[in-house]
Amino acid sequence: MNETSVLLFITIVFSILVIYWISIVVSVVYRKNRVARLSKIEATFADVVSQYLYNDPQNPITLSEINDRLREVGIRTGNKNNIQYLIRLMIRTQRTILGDNYAKLKTLYAQIPPYNASYSKISSWNWYKRARGIREIYEMNQSHYVHDIQKFQNHRNIFVRREAQIAMVVFLGWESLRFLPYLKRNMTLWQQIKIVEKLYDHHPTPELKWLHRAYKTDKLFGKKLLMRIIRKFQLHAETEFIIEHLNHPDYEVRETAIYCIQSFALSKKKMKNIKVLYEGIEDSTQQGHLLNYIYENSDIDIDFYMKQLNGTNDDLKLSVAEILWNNGYKEKVQEFYYQQYPTKEELDVE
Amino acid sequence: MRKVLVIQEDIIILKILDRLVRLNDFECKAIRSLDALNIEDQQTNFDFIITDILFEGIAPLEFVAQVQEIIPHKNLLIVTNMGQDKIKKEIFALSGITGFYAVPIDLDDIEATIQAY
Repeated sequence: MNETSVLLFITIVFSILVIYWISIVVSVVYRKNRVARLSKIEATFADVVSQYLYNDPQNPITLSEINDRLREVGIRTGNKNNIQYLIRLMIRTQRTILGDNYAKLKTLYAQIPPYNASYSKISSWNWYKRARGIREIYEMNQSHYVHDIQKFQNHRNIFVRREAQIAMVVFLGWESLRFLPYLKRNMTLWQQIKIVEKLYDHHPTPELKWLHRAYKTDKLFGKKLLMRIIRKFQLHAETEFIIEHLNHPDYEVRETAIYCIQSFALSKKKMKNIKVLYEGIEDSTQQGHLLNYIYENSDIDIDFYMKQLNGTNDDLKLSVAEILWNNGYKEKVQEFYYQQYPTKEELDVE
Repeated sequence: MRKVLVIQEDIIILKILDRLVRLNDFECKAIRSLDALNIEDQQTNFDFIITDILFEGIAPLEFVAQVQEIIPHKNLLIVTNMGQDKIKKEIFALSGITGFYAVPIDLDDIEATIQAY
């Protein structure tokens, strides 16, 4: 390697380093400016929203002033990043407030710069963007888009249909259950839980008319969802729906029914019915769970437990024996186990 | 004039509470952390302190105890994102707490409380 090559090598390395340093400086400056810009947008939005919610009668803020102030800090149609940040702030604020101010915010959001930013996302080809648009619409409670979102309930993409189904619950509340029989694709456990939680947060007063109509659904996920709703809202009068699914042929439906019924204390009549259904359950683990529930929520029914003690599954028999043993029926358990040893006559074969 | 101190890290809640308080004829000092307090503030006997409990570097209960100790006040309202039952019980177990409001909040409740003062 001669002197020229070494110099060339050093020049190249130095040039790369210079480019690298410049890019770092540009990045740092950009980030600094961006953070400052976002802070300014946040402060302006906070100011505008606070003035809008608590308008000074002597110096009221108008919508045009609000729009001007937002425009001044960079909320313009062309600047998508700023608009997206504003949408995030709007959603954050909406989640924070209840009551009359919630309705006021909803009105404000329909009139400030993002306008149709979220709505335009639901026409996007990108499913992630579309799902995000639907989410923004329901988070900001822009209920006038309900008909546009409804068509996505059976969308092939799980995220899009998930957000659309949640949006229907947020907008229509209990009435959204009427769509349940028409849903064609499976609803995951996570989705069921999200729907129940949204229903509880936004529509805490049950409307049984819609629930009763939804009982007719033949979709398994629909049955599971309804049982979870009954559990969450503690609808004691509706427990019959859960009970009748305790011995459903589908494993997961039975599992949900057993899980949900555990939140209720039932009358003797219903408990008697459960004891009958108990014997029809195919899975012994599930039987075990239900047995625990029966034991914890009813008086000792000696006939029922003796019948189970003479059953076929050893694990269940052991559980039943434990229950009887701990509740004053030791002699019944001893008698049952002694029966299993051969008698003297049987042993004396000679 | 009656005075209120608002301490909220979230600038949106801070500004909204600031406006709410001012429109109810209170003088308001709105800050995002205790660092923004000056010596005069620590000598003022505030009619209300409306504060969050979740701040960086300090446990919620410790923060409340610190506020109670260093800032003279007549009423202490907690407005926070930490609305879990456990936290609520622990906060009310402390003496001198006038109210606890967990997000999402109905601002009318807070307004009613300060108007009743």
